[in-house]
Amino acid sequence: MPAPTPRRALLACLSAALAALLSGSAAAQPLSGRLVLYTSQLEADAQGTVDAFRARHPGVEVEWVRAGTNALIPRLRAEFAAGNPRADVLLIADSLTMETLKAENRLKRWAEAPRGGVPAEYVDPEGFYWGTKLITTGIVRNTRAPMTISSWNDLADPRARNLVTMPSPSVSGAALIHVYAIVQNPALGWEYLERLARNGLTVRGGNGAVMQAVAGGERAFGMVIDYLPIREAAKGAPVEFVFPREGVSAVTEPVAILSGTRNEAAAKAFVAFLLSREGQELASRQGFLPADPTVSPPPGFPDPKTIRVMPLDARRALAEAEAVQRRFSGLFGQ
Amino acid sequence: MAAAGAERLIRPLLVLWVGVISALPMLRLGLEGLSPSLPGAPQGLAGLVFSDPRVWRAARRTLLVAVPGTCLSVLFGGAGAVAIGLCKLPGRRALAFLFVLPMLIPPQIAALSWIGALGPSSALLNALGLAPPLGTPHPLHSPEGIAFLFGVQHAPVVFLSLMAGLRRFPAGLVEAARLAGAGSAAVLRSIVLPLLAPSLAAGASLAFIAAIGNFGIAALLGIPANYTVLTVLIWQRLAGLGPAGLSEAALMSLLLAGFAALALAAESLAVRRERRYVTPGATGPAPPLALGGFTAAVLAALVLYLAVVLFLPLAALVSTALVPASGVPLSARTATLSNFVSVLFVQQNTVVAFRNSLLLAATAAAILVAVGVAMARARLPKPVRLAIDLPYALPGVCVAVAAILVYLRPLPLIGLSLYGTLWLILIAYLARFQALALKPLAGAAARLDPALEEAARLAGAGPLRRLATIALPLLAPAAAAAAILVALTALNEITLSILLYAAGSQTLGVIVFGLNDGGAVGQAAAVSVVSLVLVLVLMGAASLAARRLPAGTLPWSP
Repeated sequence: MPAPTPRRALLACLSAALAALLSGSAAAQPLSGRLVLYTSQLEADAQGTVDAFRARHPGVEVEWVRAGTNALIPRLRAEFAAGNPRADVLLIADSLTMETLKAENRLKRWAEAPRGGVPAEYVDPEGFYWGTKLITTGIVRNTRAPMTISSWNDLADPRARNLVTMPSPSVSGAALIHVYAIVQNPALGWEYLERLARNGLTVRGGNGAVMQAVAGGERAFGMVIDYLPIREAAKGAPVEFVFPREGVSAVTEPVAILSGTRNEAAAKAFVAFLLSREGQELASRQGFLPADPTVSPPPGFPDPKTIRVMPLDARRALAEAEAVQRRFSGLFGQ
Repeated sequence: MAAAGAERLIRPLLVLWVGVISALPMLRLGLEGLSPSLPGAPQGLAGLVFSDPRVWRAARRTLLVAVPGTCLSVLFGGAGAVAIGLCKLPGRRALAFLFVLPMLIPPQIAALSWIGALGPSSALLNALGLAPPLGTPHPLHSPEGIAFLFGVQHAPVVFLSLMAGLRRFPAGLVEAARLAGAGSAAVLRSIVLPLLAPSLAAGASLAFIAAIGNFGIAALLGIPANYTVLTVLIWQRLAGLGPAGLSEAALMSLLLAGFAALALAAESLAVRRERRYVTPGATGPAPPLALGGFTAAVLAALVLYLAVVLFLPLAALVSTALVPASGVPLSARTATLSNFVSVLFVQQNTVVAFRNSLLLAATAAAILVAVGVAMARARLPKPVRLAIDLPYALPGVCVAVAAILVYLRPLPLIGLSLYGTLWLILIAYLARFQALALKPLAGAAARLDPALEEAARLAGAGPLRRLATIALPLLAPAAAAAAILVALTALNEITLSILLYAAGSQTLGVIVFGLNDGGAVGQAAAVSVVSLVLVLVLMGAASLAARRLPAGTLPWSP
């Protein structure tokens, strides 16, 4: 931060006063302007989220870019480097990425954000980002597959040889968290990933690509986020989703406001909307497990209380991030 | 020629237009290769890029799919041209039309269709009991798959080039040979084939350049196979790094331009040979050879080929669009229009893409035809014509990267950057497709009788009046054909727009790629079906407009 000079201080005072004035009037006046959202949600879900938000704030024009979290972040960093970040709001897979951005002062703090019924463990205690749902990574199985699945270890079974795929951690934020969780699980660890590599597991694209490969029969099993197979199975796709008995990995799809936002009022409204009862009910309707435990989960999910999540030491994951990604790339030729 | 003031102004204006739209970006791209200038580009970037094993691997892979792909195109296109252009077959016009159709299916849609046609969940293969077993990698997700699709996709290019050659058939030479007692086989071997060689070379070089510059097929088939060619690597660097990856992207696109230049050089050698050997004599459309007992066999082979390259993938595309989720077999009970409803009425992203692509196609067509009419009537110096042709002759990524290089920085005076806007895509399209619009117009203008205008001038008609009453009515069919050709190509364009789009400026090509990438294959197929219907409508309109134009004006009526 540059040292405060009298002129800077005056400017800061003025802008604070202006901001207070604006936020005071924001409650009364409808929101307007453009809001740019960078999200890892799939097209149709991003559309649903934006439509529901705009139904509430019709004056705001929302533009969005979608890509896997780990494809989106380099783009955002390039924009930071060029001094011209376009995004106002980020809605991405995992809080670890948010934690990194927060450490780089890229996120805007909003300590008073109304989190509605969303439990405290979903949100950053300092008020920089807020988890909006629970997205777990388990196993999708094509119903024509030669065997049933109940454990992660079944994927290393000789009968699953060359039949397993998973999303690339260099694209999907959930997949990266999943790799961290496996590596940190003493019962699985690198030894498990090495067995999978020997068993012919392939790594491809994002979760959508994995879902497509398994539904289309190119692979029989895939590690994938829960709501895709649960939702597609309801539409008739020949797939089922399995919560393995060792537990699943999980991300919270957090939302955050970029510190350089040009439309803070609309960005805050977007965050508040996702955390509100209305936003949580929307998540459930879209097929996600809502963060708010009082909102009923979508059909096809077990009781959220019975879902076992593998523990994850975030500090250790951040410290080992580069080494893990390099070792993973070496193993699967990514 | 004593020209009025307005006419004297036209030529400098046209030269300026070509300079700004085409020459400036191309020169800027060339300069970037000599000395990378962008912020963030380290010293000796060229050394870094060209010592990067990933770049060379991608370059090698580009050639490893483009060369076999071109060979297949020559094989398919050559056989098609010999059968349809030289032999007496029923329904030749219809066959020629169908043979050219694969070229008008945008590559990303062709790839999507073929993926649906040949995978383990292929409805057709499952019905025939031929589907690969569960867990078989998709046969097209491989270098062989990419080469095969290049072969099919670019066979019409070779076919058209040969058909054009056959229209200038050396009937005089053939007659002389016949009189001298040569048989059909001898005539074919010693006269027809050698004289067609330059057309074949031209077609092959076009097919090769189309293959090395292809993004749609290379991305949809290559990314799942982890088989990255140069166009995809350039896209990955630009998408991942944004403008920071621009210098690298420029160097890689110059590498592609180098490959294209080699192909063009080979072609010009072949064309020079033609000049040396052709002797004066009557030329005209080749008289069809009677096949006798072979007619049915040749016809059957053609129909089979057309069924495989047209019906099979398109049927798969439609069935993918009609099922509610991947892997669901199509039946009367499962069929649903939900994907169409979703992409046409619900999803803002696809609706915006339809709007953007229609807008871009219409605007580019209108501007390019207006400029093209002026160009066709003005005699432009050779360097200007070269500047018009270059962006069309080189791979599309070169034009896209050049456009970013020129327009990334805020424009002088207004202080706005065009980067990430629809305007940048439009500018790139104007550079890319000017040659496409000019070709039918130049042909039509060359056929105008100068005496008409001369007479009108002597009668006192001013330049505008002569344009409105003489040139325009006579050029109108060619102008309509040119406009529709541009619109048709721009509507489903992907190679340029995938590098140039941002939030809000996505095109149809980009959205098909994005939906497929996100696993929403049914929606990608629905967008594709709708845009193919648009293509068909435009083709119908163009065929009406060009009824009285000579053969070859429209690519699908050779």
